[in-house]
Amino acid sequence: MADWDGASDSDLKAAGAEPLSDGRRGLRLKGWHIESIKRPILGSLARQELEEKLGTSHLPEMVFGDSSLFLLHVGTGIKLHFNAFDALMGWMQEALPPVEVPAAAKWKFRSKPSQQVILDYDYTFTTPYCGSETSESELEKTILEDGCCSLHWEDCDERIDLAVLSMKEPILFYDEVVLYEDELADNGVSLLTVKVRVMPSCWFLLLRYWLRVDGVLMRLRDTRVYCSFASDDKVKPIIIRENCWREATIESLSVQGFPSGSAAYADPNLISQNLPIVKNKTQRLKIPSSLSEHDGGNFNVSEKQL
Amino acid sequence: MSDLDRQIEQLKRCEPLKESEVKALCLKAMEILVEESNVQRVDAPVTICGDIHGQFYDMKELFKVGGDCPKTNYLFLGDFVDRGFYSVETFLLLLALKVRYPDRITLIRGNHESRQITQVYGFYDECLRKYGSVNVWRYCTDIFDYLSLSALIENKIFSVHGGLSPAITTLDQIRTIDRKQEVPHDGAMCDLLWSDPEDVDGWGLSPRGAGYLFGGNVVTSFNHSNNIDYICRAHQLVMEGYKWMFNNQIVTVWSAPNYCYRCGNVAAILVLDENLDQQFTVFEAAPHESRGVPSKKPAPDYFL
Repeated sequence: MADWDGASDSDLKAAGAEPLSDGRRGLRLKGWHIESIKRPILGSLARQELEEKLGTSHLPEMVFGDSSLFLLHVGTGIKLHFNAFDALMGWMQEALPPVEVPAAAKWKFRSKPSQQVILDYDYTFTTPYCGSETSESELEKTILEDGCCSLHWEDCDERIDLAVLSMKEPILFYDEVVLYEDELADNGVSLLTVKVRVMPSCWFLLLRYWLRVDGVLMRLRDTRVYCSFASDDKVKPIIIRENCWREATIESLSVQGFPSGSAAYADPNLISQNLPIVKNKTQRLKIPSSLSEHDGGNFNVSEKQL
Repeated sequence: MSDLDRQIEQLKRCEPLKESEVKALCLKAMEILVEESNVQRVDAPVTICGDIHGQFYDMKELFKVGGDCPKTNYLFLGDFVDRGFYSVETFLLLLALKVRYPDRITLIRGNHESRQITQVYGFYDECLRKYGSVNVWRYCTDIFDYLSLSALIENKIFSVHGGLSPAITTLDQIRTIDRKQEVPHDGAMCDLLWSDPEDVDGWGLSPRGAGYLFGGNVVTSFNHSNNIDYICRAHQLVMEGYKWMFNNQIVTVWSAPNYCYRCGNVAAILVLDENLDQQFTVFEAAPHESRGVPSKKPAPDYFL
């Protein structure tokens, strides 16, 4: 990968974007504050705390628990964010049964130690997570207490505008944040990452859960979120989200003539189109109308809030 | 200066050897390694190192903080290759040092020192990329079969890449394994290179259906039967570089800082003096300028 020194000053200026200062990664643009935070994996103590919070003794080998991406619409206080904790909550709730590796067949014939327990958690850390959304608005909190319409996603017929995304508009901000990763004890890869790119007319992100169990299975759970900038910052933003889950066994791929060796599947992009879709839906963020009237002045992100 | 010394100097600059030189080096290494026991005896003082994973410039940091070989006596617990960008240079430097100073460096086998694993996790592709053929990968993986499976320091500290096996209760049982083969998918040799300690009573079977986990009581009885003080192993990433478990009966040592160039972890080596007194030396990844790895800032990509 080539070095990238960031967007050019002239592109940023032309778009009215303001990069974040003090070494923070991100920018402010068209009423949005977009920021990524990248930190090392959690240390032993923080892992222990996380295990207790989640109620499990198993976590991915690499949890980037202090890393995140968030996108705040300053005018309404709506915040989309992506973090490992919420994703692991999703893993705990989904709790898929474990996938056996090819060697398991032989292991069934091994003599068992006298004292043996069989662990049965989902070691692939498969998660249905597609991001978190909150409202930083006081108004919204009142509405929630009233049990009234809150921020939520609704199925819709609109689609993410691929034509706009295919135009090579200058990228004003780009980043990729790993949320967690596990090597499945050298039996494949489980990886949750979020990538974002911000252009003068829109932002777009891809949250991807990618699983390869060597010799067994490939699973891809993609969430794409798109927002085209409105001419007026105060207007409720239109945010579209597309979930696409794909999955195939290596066996079924090899029947179709694809390789069966794992080395061929190092990059999910190369195979994703050949994995059958198991779930696909498009949704739009439903924003309570009261939020749009709010004056955005209160929702600036300070270092303290991070 | 002998050819070997010249090769060591060259490898220290992270410049790979010619294919013919690799072949000759591997033949010499084979003669030395074939004589080693499955439980190789090691004298103190010795410095124990965990996984390196082809992070050549970070291994140079390791030598900077730990001292050069042969001045420092080293024991490496395997996983020299895969994942990092310089598996070829990393393994060849260690192997050249082994041939040059056979009594001052001990290399034991990790689960990545295997034909099957290296074809998936990087070493095979790296050899192909750097040499245009897989010959160097063949020479190296043939040498992997000769690497010892474990080490015993002054009869008191048992060292192994992964951990224990339910098929092994005594060190003599390890000595009888015919190790000159590809790492098998099951059995004692597989367990020694693959298993992990875990908070269970007795043995745990991984949810993958293959792979053992061993509990504190297993370690207690192994250490007791073999009259050893503790087990030193590698194999698992630890953010702090080392981690004791089960009341100091087993320690994990991890020597790949900023693992995969993105984890931000520190690494450690375990320095044992002549009285077996322990000291962990913690170190960080090599400064960014000194290594040829991609910049931290990812190039923007018009992903869809």
